[in-house]
Amino acid sequence: MGSPQHVSHVRASSSASTDVDGGGLNGAQDNLLPIANVGRIMKDVLPPQAKISKHAKETIQECATEFVGFVTGEASERCRQERRKTINGDDICHAMRNLGLDHYADAMRGYLRRYRESEEVAAALNNNSGREIQIDVRDELSIFRSNEQRQGRN
Amino acid sequence: MRQARPYSGMFCGGVSARTGPHALPLARIKKIMKRSAGEAAAAGDGGARMISGEAPVVFSKACELFIAELTRRAWAATLEGKRRTVHREDVADAVRNTDLFDFLVDVVTTHNVDDGATD
Repeated sequence: MGSPQHVSHVRASSSASTDVDGGGLNGAQDNLLPIANVGRIMKDVLPPQAKISKHAKETIQECATEFVGFVTGEASERCRQERRKTINGDDICHAMRNLGLDHYADAMRGYLRRYRESEEVAAALNNNSGREIQIDVRDELSIFRSNEQRQGRN
Repeated sequence: MRQARPYSGMFCGGVSARTGPHALPLARIKKIMKRSAGEAAAAGDGGARMISGEAPVVFSKACELFIAELTRRAWAATLEGKRRTVHREDVADAVRNTDLFDFLVDVVTTHNVDDGATD
């Protein structure tokens, strides 16, 4: 599977800038995902009465950071083998699949597709070529959908 | 005078994946990616990978899902212990109980003996 080298950078940087006793402070480190964002996401999925210890938050902060590194390492290796310089969204999805993270790969494939579609729209709207832009918004309109179901297609 | 901006958000069903706001900052994600991409490239082709603009966007969402999953699993361990505060050990339990998270075993295994600290 993936090489173990990806693990080391998270721990090494944590210990490099924390006190010897490891008082649990990741500090304001820019090599980890920001703990405020991590904490917010955690809070959103937990019931209102739940509390989160600082250490737990930091641990998940490190885990999520490691997640990025782990998948990126695999994606980067794939690019190297195919002699490509740039890691794109497809590489990340493939890497997730290779690493056994199938449901993440599936979810991200759909997300990536929608993102690319929105990029095309944005680019077209920015484009001053004067060409007519065709945008089919019917999928987005629930009113249209429910009308169809009521009247039946003809 | 206001400048017209592309209606990229309109067709995404809500918050634009393109311009955000994202759950996690793209610049930070890119920084973390560059470190790993550089390490993996190591010897041979002499280059850290370049990272396309869409890659941090994908990770911002993927990390959100990942944090959500890990948190929910940790919470299950918290409930089993009849507690309401998620501790580091709950996260460790979640990692150990999930095959998918084998790559995190080193991250949650700490040499610290005392983890009584809570805030």
